[in-house]
Amino acid sequence: MELLPFFEWAEASFLGSIGKTYGGWYAIGQSLHLFSLALLGGAVLVTDLRLLGIILKDVPSEMVADNAHKWFKVALAGILATGIFMAAAVAVRMYYNDFFFAKMVALAVGIIFVFAIKRPLLKRSHADIQPWVLKALAVASICLWFSVAATGRWIGFS
Amino acid sequence: MNELVWTFAEWLYAQPWSRGIHESFYVYNWIESTHVVTLMLSLGMLFLIDLRLLGLTMTNVPASTIAQRLNIPMWIGFTIMIVTGLLLFYAVPTRTATSVWFRIKMVLLFAAAINAWLLHRKMQESAGTWDKDPVPPKRIRIAAALSLAFWAGIITTGRLIAYDWYDCYRIQSDFINVVAGCVAGTEY
Repeated sequence: MELLPFFEWAEASFLGSIGKTYGGWYAIGQSLHLFSLALLGGAVLVTDLRLLGIILKDVPSEMVADNAHKWFKVALAGILATGIFMAAAVAVRMYYNDFFFAKMVALAVGIIFVFAIKRPLLKRSHADIQPWVLKALAVASICLWFSVAATGRWIGFS
Repeated sequence: MNELVWTFAEWLYAQPWSRGIHESFYVYNWIESTHVVTLMLSLGMLFLIDLRLLGLTMTNVPASTIAQRLNIPMWIGFTIMIVTGLLLFYAVPTRTATSVWFRIKMVLLFAAAINAWLLHRKMQESAGTWDKDPVPPKRIRIAAALSLAFWAGIITTGRLIAYDWYDCYRIQSDFINVVAGCVAGTEY
């Protein structure tokens, strides 16, 4: 499937034009993207570090995971909204950027991982889940979301 | 003062390691990536502490428990950010020292640090009376909201350093030149 026409359409769209024309708005989009990334990092890490038994050992992990997931969803919404805005402004450049596609794959895997694997598992009582499964889940989650952030930063370098 | 800052920045840039980092594609970009990605740990933990102090998350856990337990990973993150931040300044000292955004970022960092210190002190003095309350007192919530606002400003100005809108090579108002630290007669 040829994707270039879609990227050309995105850049010519209203959203793409705003980001392309007004540098200030684009920069605000970038800042909100980073703010959302920090919040997402907090929500992911507080759960994963708790599952690994590193922090908040005296707080039930179910409670930490439930509370953090609410803010994870807020952060993810912020990342997606600002990410679409930023990508639209430079869509054709993104089409030729390998790291952009690497990030999209990492992000898709991350979202599927959270909503299809991690969250359904963590909704159950954690005492019923093998400890190694919880730890493997936490390590996989940390690796995944750091990959999303790192590939995102490298879009700007390539 | 601005002349002194400029002389120091030029001296830094004359160091072989400064140019070495700046000119190395991988070293510079890895340092910058580490600086950005570590936001997830440092600010991630800080945001959760602030959200608890605003009464917006983990309200059935004492606020002091959240603040104390997340403090260590937060400081590990901030230590990495300070080290990588210093390296980034060391690699590009002249342009960074004359960036309006960098200067505003430093002022905001100072303000955020003062706010954090005051908040910490207030918590130590009074946490016993409200620690288990789902929503802390108003003065604590104001300090937590200020913390989030300062860090939003720090992230924004940090990102804006990459833009050359007010760089010294441009023709701009005297006010901007003074704030940016542009030194008259210097070729940028």
